[in-house]
Amino acid sequence: MSTQITWKHLALWALFLGGMALLPMLVGKGTLRTIIFANYLAIFAMSWDVLSGRTGYISFGHPFLIGIGAYTTAILSYRFDVPVGISIPVAVIVTMAAGTLFFLPALRIKGTYFALVTLAFMELMYQLVQVIRPDLTGGTRGISGVQTLTRGAVNGYYLSLALMGVIAISLWAMMKTRLGTALSAIGMNEEAVEGSGLNTTKLKLFAFMVGAGVAGIGGAFYVHYLGSIAPRALFDINFLFTIIVAALIGGASTIIGPMAGAFFLTFLLEYLRPFLPGAERYFIYGSIALILYMYEPKGLYEILRKARERLTGANA
Amino acid sequence: MALLEIDNLSAFYGRAQSLHNVSFNVGKGEIVAVIGTNGAGKSTLMDSIMGMVKNTGAIRLEGQDLIGFDSSEIVKRGVGYAPERAHLFPFMTVEDNLLVGGYTARDDIGRNLAHVHELFPVLKQRATQETATQSGGERQMVSVGRALMTSPRLLLVDEPTIGLSPKVCSEIAATLKRLNEEDGLTILITEQNINFAMSLATRVHVLETGHLRISGTPQELAADDALNKAYFGG
Repeated sequence: MSTQITWKHLALWALFLGGMALLPMLVGKGTLRTIIFANYLAIFAMSWDVLSGRTGYISFGHPFLIGIGAYTTAILSYRFDVPVGISIPVAVIVTMAAGTLFFLPALRIKGTYFALVTLAFMELMYQLVQVIRPDLTGGTRGISGVQTLTRGAVNGYYLSLALMGVIAISLWAMMKTRLGTALSAIGMNEEAVEGSGLNTTKLKLFAFMVGAGVAGIGGAFYVHYLGSIAPRALFDINFLFTIIVAALIGGASTIIGPMAGAFFLTFLLEYLRPFLPGAERYFIYGSIALILYMYEPKGLYEILRKARERLTGANA
Repeated sequence: MALLEIDNLSAFYGRAQSLHNVSFNVGKGEIVAVIGTNGAGKSTLMDSIMGMVKNTGAIRLEGQDLIGFDSSEIVKRGVGYAPERAHLFPFMTVEDNLLVGGYTARDDIGRNLAHVHELFPVLKQRATQETATQSGGERQMVSVGRALMTSPRLLLVDEPTIGLSPKVCSEIAATLKRLNEEDGLTILITEQNINFAMSLATRVHVLETGHLRISGTPQELAADDALNKAYFGG
């Protein structure tokens, strides 16, 4: 983690994003829409990973944060005609404030208990959205007709790609610093980090704010891509697990991992659709996640890394 | 004035009390050992000094009270803590483990790292290895090294020899002695291994179920019948 950023790293990022930018010429609109979802899922998974993958505080309430970002901008722009140039930044700030709320239980509890409290946050939000001011939130039916930022799959794709790219590279550069190392150290042994003289409260707060900020950006742009929002689709256990599983099978505590996981999952679910149109797909993807996780807890990232090592080792 | 004064210290986990009115001093340039069996309160004592347990009484570093401060403040004031080696960051390289220790003493990172590498050359060779894959002895070196990265004036070492071979123990003893003699570092260790503690320390305190029972120089304690009975079975 303390390895320096080199030109090789930057060249690889450029190659990856450049390759992604060519995709609209190669694939159809339908596939492109699938990739757009994968890009947003990658953003959510990276955001979950900053908060939970690094520090070990497993959040089961991530849709709570994403939902706050999405609802804030949707309500502001749809109900109050606030321009998106203002409503999106406001949504991100509000989400970060919600991240602080999320952080409070993390001062006292860890592990399973923290996970359950965060799950409660999500359920609470689901209920509240329906009963408090349904004239604003649209109640159970949500809001549709939210202003979209782009027209057509290709533009939507480029916007999501740009967002994902900027977020991925920023987080990646941040995690290369000692700050990133310290956050991972918290996940491994929080007391030892404290005993080494680091202020774990500040570090955790920072991780929660960054995680929430990214979730807010993702949620806000996603709602302006979809043009609609509904509580059941957002504050949903399946959505939550898709995010967590994407980060975990890709490789927690990395940047490439959650992205790879998001693409893997999205395409897996998409390609299974013709064969298994119902919820059985989730059974297949659960099994694949389980096997992958048992075989290599560090995820796809580690499998690829080991394969590369074996290949280069064989060449040498 | 002693570098570290512990005065009437009690420690609590909720309602359970695990240290009872413990008092002793650590003079500047001394090596002091606290010995005791499992559950005697050794790690609690260390955690108390680091501000990680609820305490009553006083802990003073150069006359200034430490109780009530965060660990990060206590480390900044010059207390370095090498916990039992199980408390490393297992999936992190040796180098990163050391660098986490260097977080508070940013200006000294280069010098401290060079010093740690000089004391434990093997840590330089293994810089990119994850500590989970290291031997117990090497992990103990990482633990001490990580504490030294904080530029301490007082080094706390919690049970350095647990589960290590006699050869590795004597290497660790030699390094601690060297730190004490060459750098003038004051060291407080806790131990179950009486021989290790007696060979290293200038003063030894015996802790039993949270009470400080006997204190003295290694010579005095070696002559103490009660202690010999309790710990050597004869």
